[in-house]
Amino acid sequence: MPNTHSMSNIHLRIRRQDRPDSRPYWHEFAVQSHDEHNVLSLLMAVRADPVTISGERVEPVVWEHNCMEEVCGACAMLINGRPRPACSALVAELRQPIVLEPLPKFPVVRDLLVDRRRIDQGLTRVKAWIRIDGVWDTHAGAPRIGPDEWAANYLYSRCMSCGCCMAACPQFGENRDFLGPAPLAQVRLMNAHPTGRYDKSARLHAIMAEGGLSDCGNAQNCVRVCPKEIPLTTAIGELGRQTTLQALMDLFGAG
Amino acid sequence: MSASIANSHFILRRLHSLLGLLPVGAFLIFHLWENSQSRFGAEHYNERVVAALQEMNYLILLEIFVIALPLLLHAGYGVVIMTQMSAEPLRYPYTRHSLYWLQRLSGLGILLFLLVHVGMTRLLGIWDPTVAADLFSHMQSLLVQPWMLTVYVVGLLLSVFHLANGLATMAIVWGVTASARAQRLFGWFCVLLGLLLAALGLHGLMGFLP
Repeated sequence: MPNTHSMSNIHLRIRRQDRPDSRPYWHEFAVQSHDEHNVLSLLMAVRADPVTISGERVEPVVWEHNCMEEVCGACAMLINGRPRPACSALVAELRQPIVLEPLPKFPVVRDLLVDRRRIDQGLTRVKAWIRIDGVWDTHAGAPRIGPDEWAANYLYSRCMSCGCCMAACPQFGENRDFLGPAPLAQVRLMNAHPTGRYDKSARLHAIMAEGGLSDCGNAQNCVRVCPKEIPLTTAIGELGRQTTLQALMDLFGAG
Repeated sequence: MSASIANSHFILRRLHSLLGLLPVGAFLIFHLWENSQSRFGAEHYNERVVAALQEMNYLILLEIFVIALPLLLHAGYGVVIMTQMSAEPLRYPYTRHSLYWLQRLSGLGILLFLLVHVGMTRLLGIWDPTVAADLFSHMQSLLVQPWMLTVYVVGLLLSVFHLANGLATMAIVWGVTASARAQRLFGWFCVLLGLLLAALGLHGLMGFLP
């Protein structure tokens, strides 16, 4: 079958950094690519032949990837100034030169690889899980959830911890307490689960402490950049309501 | 378990949010309404508006506990919050992100304006009784200077914006508006409220001009 895709020379500008504490610098590459390619396939082409525009052979660019279909979140980076997964960034839709930088707000390990442990730490802090080992009813079989509630919950279950929402958040940063939007949205999800509800107060108390919900500044960049279109700001509004009621119950008693 | 009360963080943030509306925002609305009566002339303004307020019992307590202290707490904690951002102002061109910035910048602007405004009216009135006795003429002598009128118009618009936008985000913070649609609709309501208050305030400022 003849190749009907048009080949073209794609101009890439990549921010490089050798070590976590070294100074970043830039390399430019020209890559033969189909219009249908995505940024990951460009990076693979660079890895196969890491020669810059000026003809210098350099170390291959380091980056993370895994699923290649926008469900794992590993390849999130700054592409032309916006945080997004590289696998779903199609070359044909991007202005050239395509500028790649590591995901901001997270410590750089090397080149485009960042340390995203802050996401896991946030999820741990808010107890973003459901305890099923205990002497309580775990709803073995199927928990009863109405279709409307299920549909609303499903939106939050799509989070892949890519960190784009946190990278775009003006309140989130390396030396800042704020958990960021993704862990907050998981509190919204877990609190709605029939078994997860048992730990609702504990999760709300976790997000009512330093770095929690009230550190949100309502800039709402998170909901704009989320590649999975998760209604993060709706979660934040709903958690505002839940924490308001929780504070009243803490003050006056839950009775 | 009562972690939310034991930990002051949540209570402080919510107190900061609440104070912005009650009493500070409510006072701003009253203040604009009160001064919009400048258009009825010097005699009406000095005797029916200013004198009536000055004759109130416990006025100094109200001024301290309903206006000054809540305002200082709101402003002080607001500045503390502002030091906790890690922002890239130019990267994201979204409306709410611009409003996030304007809210913080207007807060600082209002603080500067209030130094001038309170200093040249309420505080000056303590040393110079003629200012308090004929506030209308005093305001007129200030506002006929174009640069001072500009300072007042800017201060007014910043204050009104800060209240209207603060009300919109307050509704999200307290969980009144959760869905994107509710937040958008209430946002437009706040735009209307802001325009109305700006008109009321400008009307009051023009009333002092000869």
